[in-house]
Amino acid sequence: MATTATLHSHAPQGFIRKYIFSLDHKVIGLQYFFLALTAVWVGMFLSLLMRIHLVWPTASLPLVGEIKPEMYLSLLTMHGTIMVFFVLTTAPQGGFGNYVLPIQIGAPDMAFPVLNMLSFWTTFVGFVVILAAFFVSGGAPLHGWTGYPPLSAVQSAGPGEGLGADLWITSIAIFCAASLMGALNFITTTLDLRAKGMTLMRMPLTVWSWFITAILGLLAFGVLLSAGILLLMDRNLGTSFYVPLIVVNGQIMGHKGGSPLLWQHLFWFFGHPEVYIAILPGMGVTSQVLSTFSRKPIFGYKAMVYAMLSIGFLGFMVWGHHMFMSGMSPYSAFAFSLLTMCIGVPSAIKTFNWLGTMWKGRIRFYTPMLFAIGFVSLFVSGGLSGPFLAQPVLDIQLHDTYFVVGHFHLIMGVAAIFGIFAATYYWFPKMFGRMMNESWGKAHFWLTFIGTYAIFMPMHYLGMAGGTRRYSQYTEVAYLQRLMPIHTFMTYAAIITIASQFIFVINLFWSMFKGPKASDNPWESTTLEWTTATPPPHDNFGGRTPVVKHGPYEYGVPGAAKDFIMQTDPATTPAH
Amino acid sequence: MADATLQHDSVQHGIRGEFEAPLFGAYSKKVGMWLFLASDSLTFGALLVAFSYNRISNPAWPTPFAKESIINSTIMTACLLSSSLTMVMAVFAAQRGDKLWLRNWLFATMGFGTAFIVLHGMEWSKLIGEGMTPFKNPWVPTVPQFGGTFFTLTGMHMLHVTVGVIYLGVIALRKMFLPILGALWLAGYFLIPASNVFHYGVHALLIGLIVSAVILFLKPKVYDAHDVEVAGLYWHFVDLVWMFIFPLVYLMSTKIV
Amino acid sequence: MHDAATHDDSKGQYFWVWGALLVLTAVEVWLGYKQVFQPVAMLEVLLGLSVIKSALIIAYFMHLKFESAIMRWTLTISVVACFVIMYLFFFPDAGRILRLGVK
Repeated sequence: MATTATLHSHAPQGFIRKYIFSLDHKVIGLQYFFLALTAVWVGMFLSLLMRIHLVWPTASLPLVGEIKPEMYLSLLTMHGTIMVFFVLTTAPQGGFGNYVLPIQIGAPDMAFPVLNMLSFWTTFVGFVVILAAFFVSGGAPLHGWTGYPPLSAVQSAGPGEGLGADLWITSIAIFCAASLMGALNFITTTLDLRAKGMTLMRMPLTVWSWFITAILGLLAFGVLLSAGILLLMDRNLGTSFYVPLIVVNGQIMGHKGGSPLLWQHLFWFFGHPEVYIAILPGMGVTSQVLSTFSRKPIFGYKAMVYAMLSIGFLGFMVWGHHMFMSGMSPYSAFAFSLLTMCIGVPSAIKTFNWLGTMWKGRIRFYTPMLFAIGFVSLFVSGGLSGPFLAQPVLDIQLHDTYFVVGHFHLIMGVAAIFGIFAATYYWFPKMFGRMMNESWGKAHFWLTFIGTYAIFMPMHYLGMAGGTRRYSQYTEVAYLQRLMPIHTFMTYAAIITIASQFIFVINLFWSMFKGPKASDNPWESTTLEWTTATPPPHDNFGGRTPVVKHGPYEYGVPGAAKDFIMQTDPATTPAH
Repeated sequence: MADATLQHDSVQHGIRGEFEAPLFGAYSKKVGMWLFLASDSLTFGALLVAFSYNRISNPAWPTPFAKESIINSTIMTACLLSSSLTMVMAVFAAQRGDKLWLRNWLFATMGFGTAFIVLHGMEWSKLIGEGMTPFKNPWVPTVPQFGGTFFTLTGMHMLHVTVGVIYLGVIALRKMFLPILGALWLAGYFLIPASNVFHYGVHALLIGLIVSAVILFLKPKVYDAHDVEVAGLYWHFVDLVWMFIFPLVYLMSTKIV
Repeated sequence: MHDAATHDDSKGQYFWVWGALLVLTAVEVWLGYKQVFQPVAMLEVLLGLSVIKSALIIAYFMHLKFESAIMRWTLTISVVACFVIMYLFFFPDAGRILRLGVK
């Protein structure tokens, strides 16, 4: 027993134990981060191909040649799946959550380090499996990231629906298992390993957001796992869970009496919480960053906590708003519509609290702050189209148009990515011991901020004008043809935005090795990760456990010696 | 698995004073197992919901289970319920530090579990022999969902029971369990005729053998009362799931003679 | 070692629970075999009995009755709530398939 204890409290030796199969949550967090970074470039490349194809449908592109309609659908499917699972779920939770959560609560590591390592490597296998779908015969599946049957459940339904679709489902099932391992680890760590004095209401909002995200993941991914198992059975064993009597290419399939609606229910029961799994960590990071750089306590800490809890809770009861057009019971649609509107309340509470935090603050416009403000901006513009889509009557018009694409890209795509960027710029000094370049960071922010608005804002107009999504060519349809100038504009905006991401990557890797050395607390922040060395030692606090005496955001406290009080600073006497 | 807990000095040696009291008042492994079970209950719940959904939308559901099937499945239920009782006794023995009876009660639990698997396997073979497959059944050809839901639900549950028996075996015997598992796998593979689905299904034991070998290699340790209790939680959960599958799948499809 | 020493750990109660579970199973089998009720009522009665049985297993065998109140309620409410909302929204659609004849 004693031997294992000493083994783990000292840093492991040897490259493989230290960097590959490491049990250290910091290394695992970085592994998740770089996995997501790889995935985001793959996903972004796919979206670039799609944007180019939409404007120049007959162009022959490097690497892929001329894009056929089937291939366009494959690109669309893989873009969605890779981005949602391997970027938006992996980077904020697996990456930053893993790296920062134990340090922020004063723990030496996660509660189950081996499980943590398994969770990463399972995710990695899932990523490899989904990439393999590109290279099998028939190529990647066509059914979109939502995988609606019967298209996804019948092998002969299309070129990518053979082995490619099997790999797609397998990858998602593997990802479910990995997420479950991660989620129960996060929850247990937060429940059991908070340092003395770190009461629930002294936890930074980032910790709260990762904690709630983990609860959502724990309850949601189990359902997706069974939905996926049933889909695999429909595909390979001939069962009819999701498939009614259908005819494909003039041939009657053997299925009978199944209901595609069942898949939609099961999928969206997972799928809607998944949206919050992507965005909640971004909310946490934004709260942390806004408070730090406004030099003010977060406005309404408790309201923020309860707002996040109620968003998580309501997030489980609104999945049907994805299904207004599916033939679901109209009474359910009514309930779902009402519950969806309710989510506007905690979201508004959060938005106004962020604005209240910045109000009359002594704002320091560093790059993380810019991205946090950008997050708030995108959260508002993306969120405001939500109440439109939440109404079944309007949704009849807007369903499956570019309005929806614009809505979810702004709010859960780009806003969550801005949360990841804010987190990267904010914690980079702690992770790598060096500072990132500010001018490059600002250039990256402005190009990305304006660029993403230029891509996704016009989509709303396109959708209201009747521009349907998922079509590979609009040039042949008379009324859609007249919308082509908007598509052209969006494609140019996308090219510029994607090009500007090179600024970020160059800045990231250059600063990792050549950036100026960072001090232990470069942002003059208050939470526990800034009390330890940079980068933190193997057990985070060098053999001691911090004792917490303050709330997480004590900036500009009247009567204090500095304008910020670290959480571990000795308890102060009341202001004179 | 359950042994993969934090090994840091302060936690390892029980210096809880440096940390806030755990919110759930239980040790981490137990909390982790409960969280896993919450998630797993939703996995099973979704399968049961899918079953009920198909059941509601197909009123002509087959009712093939005659007397012998019901007797068989009632015995299976009794096996599982009794195995839960022996598991409780095993946890008590572990808490007393009674190694002999811990092992005996674990063996009894595994015995009941194995009996369940064998009886269920015979039931499956019988139904397959009558012409039931995942996509058709000989009773009501217009409802192919009957076979699909039956094999999915009970198959998933059987897999959980098998994992449970292996888990308990590792807790009881550690490395000594591996050759037994290997022998069982070989015996199953050679004794079950190739026409039977379990000729291939028995490979689940091989996968279990590999996984438990890896776990025992990575974390060689003596399992304490906490480990037994956590294993018990898993085992009771498997019992609990059957309490829903049994009435839904069997009792709602009894054959009136 | 045992950290829930505050409660009565008499083994007797586990035998009683085990007996109750067997009796409930026997009742279920009898109801099912005699087809006492029509299908829907039958389903409700059987599921009601199953919920009682699983509550017994969770409370006694899985010891949840003796865990801290916050653990008890958090776990139970989160899982049960998920099932309740699934029940409320999934099954009306299954019934609609019948009524609307969408096959």
